Amino acid sequence: MGLYSTATISADAVKLCVFDLRRGQREGEEVEKILYFYPSELPLTDQLSVIGLSEGLITFTRIFSPDAACEVIEAERHSHVFYEAEPDVWMVMVVEKNKELEGIWRIEALRGMLKEVHSLFVMFNGSIRAMLDKESTGALIRSHLFSFITDYLFDFLAGKKLQLPSFHDSLQERGTVQMLTVGREAAIEIQSLVRVLESCAGSAGCHSLVLFHDLLVSTSVCPDDTVNLYTYAVLRMTPRALSASGSSWSYIRKGNTAAHLTTGSILPTSSTSTERVQGSRDTSPSGENRYLIARPLQQGKWSKGKDGFLVTNQWGSDMNASFPTVWLQQTKERMYLCAHQHKNVTIILLIPVTSINNAEREIPVLKQQLLENASLKILKVEEKLAKGWGGENAYHVSGYRYLLVDGDRCVSRASPAAKAATLAKESLVAMCKLREEVDMEKSRTKDDDVNHDKDLEVCIRAKNNSWIVARILRGKELYVVLEKANETLLYASDAIEKFSNRYCNGTFS
Amino acid sequence: MNSEASSSQASIGLSGSGALSHVYIQYPPLKCSFPGSKGLFYDDGNKLLLSPTSDQVISWKVAPFEPNVERTSDSVSEGPVLSVRYSLDNKIIAIQRSSHEIQFWNKEKGNSYSHRCKPESEKILGFFWTDSSACNFVLVKTSGLDMLTYDSESQNIQLIESKRVNVNWYIYTHESRLVLLASGMQCKSFTGFQLSSAGIIRLPKFEMLMAKSVANSKPILAAQDVHIITVYGRIYCLQVDRVAMLLHCYRFYRDAVVPQGSLPVYSSKVSVSVVDNVLLVHQVDAKVVILYDLFAESRAPVSAPLPLLLRDYPRASMSSTSSPCSKGDGHSEPKPVDEDETTIYRGGWTFFNPDLICDTSSGLLWKIHLDLDSISASSSDVPSVLEFLQRRKLEANKAKQLCLDLARTIILEHRAVGIVAQSMDVLMTSYSRAIKTGNYFKGIIADKILSFDVQTAHNPRPATDEFSRGDSSGGPIKMDSSVIPDEYTRSSTISHSESSGTKIQQSSLESEVPGPSSVPLDANNLEQQESQITTAAISPDELYRFVFSSVDEEMTGDPAYLVAILVEFLRSATLERIREYPSLYVLMIQLLARGGRFGELGLFVIDKIIEPSKEVAYQLLESGRQHPPTRKLGIDMLRQLLLHHDYVLSLLQDGYYLEALRYARKYKVVTVQPSLFLEAAYVSNDSQHLASVLRFFSDFMPGFKNTSDHATYGEILRQMNSPCVGA
Repeated sequence: MGLYSTATISADAVKLCVFDLRRGQREGEEVEKILYFYPSELPLTDQLSVIGLSEGLITFTRIFSPDAACEVIEAERHSHVFYEAEPDVWMVMVVEKNKELEGIWRIEALRGMLKEVHSLFVMFNGSIRAMLDKESTGALIRSHLFSFITDYLFDFLAGKKLQLPSFHDSLQERGTVQMLTVGREAAIEIQSLVRVLESCAGSAGCHSLVLFHDLLVSTSVCPDDTVNLYTYAVLRMTPRALSASGSSWSYIRKGNTAAHLTTGSILPTSSTSTERVQGSRDTSPSGENRYLIARPLQQGKWSKGKDGFLVTNQWGSDMNASFPTVWLQQTKERMYLCAHQHKNVTIILLIPVTSINNAEREIPVLKQQLLENASLKILKVEEKLAKGWGGENAYHVSGYRYLLVDGDRCVSRASPAAKAATLAKESLVAMCKLREEVDMEKSRTKDDDVNHDKDLEVCIRAKNNSWIVARILRGKELYVVLEKANETLLYASDAIEKFSNRYCNGTFS
Repeated sequence: MNSEASSSQASIGLSGSGALSHVYIQYPPLKCSFPGSKGLFYDDGNKLLLSPTSDQVISWKVAPFEPNVERTSDSVSEGPVLSVRYSLDNKIIAIQRSSHEIQFWNKEKGNSYSHRCKPESEKILGFFWTDSSACNFVLVKTSGLDMLTYDSESQNIQLIESKRVNVNWYIYTHESRLVLLASGMQCKSFTGFQLSSAGIIRLPKFEMLMAKSVANSKPILAAQDVHIITVYGRIYCLQVDRVAMLLHCYRFYRDAVVPQGSLPVYSSKVSVSVVDNVLLVHQVDAKVVILYDLFAESRAPVSAPLPLLLRDYPRASMSSTSSPCSKGDGHSEPKPVDEDETTIYRGGWTFFNPDLICDTSSGLLWKIHLDLDSISASSSDVPSVLEFLQRRKLEANKAKQLCLDLARTIILEHRAVGIVAQSMDVLMTSYSRAIKTGNYFKGIIADKILSFDVQTAHNPRPATDEFSRGDSSGGPIKMDSSVIPDEYTRSSTISHSESSGTKIQQSSLESEVPGPSSVPLDANNLEQQESQITTAAISPDELYRFVFSSVDEEMTGDPAYLVAILVEFLRSATLERIREYPSLYVLMIQLLARGGRFGELGLFVIDKIIEPSKEVAYQLLESGRQHPPTRKLGIDMLRQLLLHHDYVLSLLQDGYYLEALRYARKYKVVTVQPSLFLEAAYVSNDSQHLASVLRFFSDFMPGFKNTSDHATYGEILRQMNSPCVGA
């Protein structure tokens, strides 16, 4: 991705803040509103001015649309992307428009980032509001958000700059799951494994996810939870993620200080401004604050143990010490997160916290049981999947660059990134713009009619004579770029039909 | 053993339920006593029990076993009778009159012919009739075997072939067509011949194992210690080693006799029976019987040793005063006959191959039965019990019912998924084997068990087509099936030779194609094949109807467990390439929907674990009422199944009338009434759309303008538009 230095925005060009409109209502206490600000070294007055502007816009637009206030403000030099993560808790991203850098992005893609980091945060820590209620000074939430979002942004860091989603990523959809297509026999084998896994834990409330490489194979939680867990697994737990962090393993293992040094480039923790924002913080040079904070998004958090289970160093949440837990939105239940890896198969098992009295004692027993009962099946599944694995480019369709999104199930499939990257810039920009249009159309119909999806078909001839096609039918979306295609519209629509019949079970034909 | 003790034991057996034994004999027995009888002989070739008197031969037919069977009698000339057998066509009676003379008595003509041998050098040990192509009568003498052909027309006996062996004694069963000749000092060297219809096969000479008791004393093997048995179409020889207290087991191949291990013996007197391919070892002194299933690799008994039960003995006659029975009543009558009837393992008991017991002293014949109920109830290892039951052929329906009950019980009891999965594997493997050999359908037709849905539910064609592809998991299919007709023979040969890699075994594998040598000896037993018509195999549809759906009704809550079971069942069925029926998938969808696991349901449908069909699609529509994505899956399935009419209707129901119209036009669906489209458009309250739909039908449907629909909706459209115009 370093190839696209054009898409990189200098760190200063991006601001990201989280604030709570219910706090700091009195004059002089505005700083209370701020829960998180990036870059944190920005002077407090500048921070306040960003938040003040945002709040003003929100308040103003609420007059016209009380339920859905401001989504985006396009100023001359900046785009403001708004996301109301929780009632009155807003996340705003301010991105500088830079003609030189061709800052062409899709607002929805940026909002996707906000959504993603928030839902991941909620998955691990519960809602921001709940934490604010727990400790009204805000110090707790601030320190949590600080480490969490900082760890999250770390992934977007290229050199010293943040690399935000741009038009190059227009054939990708954040917040969806990529699934592996498996044959019936393998699917049954996997489901059989899933049942064994869930029966191992003994209680009925267990859930599981199975991944192969970076693709999801099976899930038993609802789409939203699946997306969160999948996103997290791909970020930190799959073999690829583990090996990526493994390269920097030694230096991360040196301790938290080292990790902080790396994040320090974007966020010097000892800077005075953060101290002020975060209220009462001690000034220890390590930057550790008085709360024991789990940092699930920290690089190199997980490593594979000898028994195949993934282990994590010092989760340290204030709940049950060493075993990571997550919140499920579906059941509103806290679950122990247990991960096992065999070659490229990653299994995530979720066990209700309530079903386990003594985690220190019972979870190792449970793991042992799992190995005893399921390891044969895991071997078998891995073998089957590896045999049918088509490699990185398994879902490449020659002649097409596509993105297929199933909104109901939050599943997407796209041309492999390497293949999508072969497209001309014009095509990608055109697709980016088309998607922007579609996004707007979609949000418009969402307001009109909640029950009905809007059907839509758009074909554009781009400057470089490529066809850019978007087709939306009953909740499923297909975006295709056809380069080197014939010039007639008929040809393009035939090509889409062919693709639909061949690869989408005729959904779009 | 004194009679009091034995009678008390018998009473225990009588009073108890079936759980006290796994094998029983059924009252009443066949009464075969006849005044003036000179002994009882069992003619296993014709399944006749023969009782010669001074001038006639009384016979009872014992197969099928019927206690009240009419005896028949044939008069013969007077004289001593050492042995008697009917010819296989039942026309000639061969009677051994002395150790040197056999008399052939023609039943129809009433004349006789005598065959004598050299009295100074040899002695007749016995004889039997055979259906071999080479000869029809075999005479076993101390000097060897004479194969003869007796022609009843010409009353001429002709020596076909003579095998010179020194014989001390011999054993023969008609079931195996195998004669074993014992020779040597200890009578432990054996020569065997199989006189099958294919010809005479000479087995290699072999020695049986004999443990020495003390130095210099060499035990001598007696005829009653050696048994030929036929199980699953394979021929075994069992030899009692009284010193080592072991029952040695040998299996016969064409070119080898291979020891198959030993079974322990707990009694000085041991006898064996075979009932429905289960080996019964009667520990006569201990008065118990132990069951072995030689099909399985292990030589562990099927169940614990338990006494033989006399079933349905009229207790009333025992306790009532009118009965001669003296039990507890203080009657001082002499020991009655009935008392003897109830005594198990009496001294007078003779065991006839394979499953008959003759009480020679009181002239009663019993048939041994397996108590499948109690066998299946005695073990908690359900998969192996199921395996055992699936192999039963005699009471196939009973075994089938028990299997279904067991399957239902383990699910209702929430046994571990792994156990249930193993059980499903057993059932599906057995079903697939039954399909391959065609037994399943024969069974269906013969028994009319499930005749009502045979044609709809069981279409054998797709299944067999898939089998014939020959996948690796399908098991042993390489053996030459013309040589070995029984499926058990095939699979067991392979599996055995895989496990014990003896040289002989391997040779038997290698030579499977070239032919005659080293193929396991099979009993070409017609009677067994007849009984194989039915099978305990259970089809997926029966499993669904008698297990899954009924369990679903009984089980309240926990659909997840049942889903897990169904997944395991599908896995087993898929491994065996057995096709499933929509009803099972419909149940799965209901269960998943009930548990609120729509995500998984989607996964199941998309991964085609739930195979698409119209029934499934409609169930998805139904279950998706509260969950639109699931409903969409159902609609999509209708489209993929090319059920255009249903697809368009479902689209209309959900209000996608424009898409429905587009689709209807594209696929020329003309069966859906225009009014449905118009109604949907009207409900959406969009006059433009209503106008376009109206226009569409006016343009593309001839005669639409004259229909009432056109008029009605045209009027509605005008009304919808008029306020706009007015404003």
